[in-house]
Amino acid sequence: MAANLHDIATSGEVVIQGATIHYQGPNGPVQVLSATDLTLSSGSFTALIGPSGCGKSTLLNAIAGFVRPSGGTIRVDGRPVTGPSPEVGVVFQQYALFPWFTARGNIEFALKRFGLSRAERREAALEALAEVGLHGRAETYPGQLSGGMKQRVALARTLASKPKVLLMDEPFGALDAQTRVSMHELLLRVMDAHRSTVLFVTHDVDEGLVLADRAHVMSATPGRIIDTLELGERRNRSVDKVDTAYIANRNRIMGLLRHREDEPAAALPRRATA
Amino acid sequence: MTISLAQSDLAQSGLAQVGRTLLSIGGVVAVWWLIAASGLVNPDLFPTPDAVWLAAMDLYQEGILLSDMGTSLTRAAIGFLIGAIGGVLVGLLTARTRVIGFALNPLLTLLRPIPAIALVPLAIVWFGIGEGSKYFVIAYTVFLAVWLNTHHGTSSVANTYIRASRSLGASTPREFFEVVVPAAAPHIVAGLRMGAALAFLSLVAAELSGASSGIGFRIQEARQFIQTDRMFVGLIELGLLGAALDLFFVSLSRRLVHWEHL
Repeated sequence: MAANLHDIATSGEVVIQGATIHYQGPNGPVQVLSATDLTLSSGSFTALIGPSGCGKSTLLNAIAGFVRPSGGTIRVDGRPVTGPSPEVGVVFQQYALFPWFTARGNIEFALKRFGLSRAERREAALEALAEVGLHGRAETYPGQLSGGMKQRVALARTLASKPKVLLMDEPFGALDAQTRVSMHELLLRVMDAHRSTVLFVTHDVDEGLVLADRAHVMSATPGRIIDTLELGERRNRSVDKVDTAYIANRNRIMGLLRHREDEPAAALPRRATA
Repeated sequence: MTISLAQSDLAQSGLAQVGRTLLSIGGVVAVWWLIAASGLVNPDLFPTPDAVWLAAMDLYQEGILLSDMGTSLTRAAIGFLIGAIGGVLVGLLTARTRVIGFALNPLLTLLRPIPAIALVPLAIVWFGIGEGSKYFVIAYTVFLAVWLNTHHGTSSVANTYIRASRSLGASTPREFFEVVVPAAAPHIVAGLRMGAALAFLSLVAAELSGASSGIGFRIQEARQFIQTDRMFVGLIELGLLGAALDLFFVSLSRRLVHWEHL
């Protein structure tokens, strides 16, 4: 295929073709993701927006190598995903920081794969903390940090392992609204420097629209992508300014999500058995 | 700033704790003394606190008090070390190796209800009346407790830690030593604390039948002469040593798994 040549030439490109995912339920396998095609082009910022249970986190887990698709292929730079890899970094909603390491220790954990000297590793970890505005907190344990600070350490830790693809699973879902806005600004600033391909999973429509170049809207039972919106260059938008295009996009997604919720329940089983 | 504040809080609550403990012990001794002095009980069967104190001083001057304590603590420590090291190693193995875990877990369920004292006769037949049989009984009970807790802690490590570790490129040995073991550490330390208490219980079981020294033997010996004051000395020794041991393990746990106490 011609597409394969292109895959090898780029970096951090994710190509998903016909991926389906089933879970083993008590009454046999349950489909959580119906055949899905999705391409995350190198350096793009994509949001996956949908209600809970629509399979958006499952899709992310499959790209991360945590969950094996039951059909189809997921490739990163042309290579099939066979398991977790530092090429594909993950930021979890529950931070997943190691509470037994300090903030610096957590970041050094990610740096250990580069074979740096102890001093170099320490230096790099302190730099990574400074980048997320936590240079004074290097020797602090996660248990002593606020939720927003924890997620900043987690972001710094994941970026320290230099992933080509960054997967974020509702990373700011547990934070209050104020902290969330400042995290959005921080994320955009940091990603300008790192240039990984980003997949950002959220149920918050505004969050997706503020951060991403492209948004996919998902629906449940079984999980699938029902719409894709091109949001244009992020440079032309700002976190605190809303224009008419933004409102139009927001209305469109809200309409889609509301429409799905309002569907008569009788219509659901037919699709569920598909 | 926050840390120094927390420390002064700790010091204050520590002081209050000591005060409460002394008050409580003083109350118990007072009640004990009142009952013993009331004339309602036979002082040969229920000695007064001062009679127990005099018996303790006697034992001390004979050199028996400290040597018994030394003997018993050494037995408990050696048995504990054997059992604890074995329990941690086997627990890590059974939790991370699915096949071994499947094979051994039913065995664990069968062995757990067997009390230490029931093992003493068998231990004497196997290892003789010397130190070997004591180590065996103590090590066995410690082993079970530590194994169970280590196995539980190690097999219930949160999946997100494992996922985070793998997607950060950690090798399997690094995942084991830097993620699985510290994540299981609070359970392992709890197992060690429980093991230390059990080491003490089984020590006495082992010493009550078939020993010629140690606190348990001294209690048994006093029975033959109906020296209840000496028995009380032995019991109080056991209580104090057990409590001190537990306090030691609590402070050890605060150091070893300090992040659990943030």
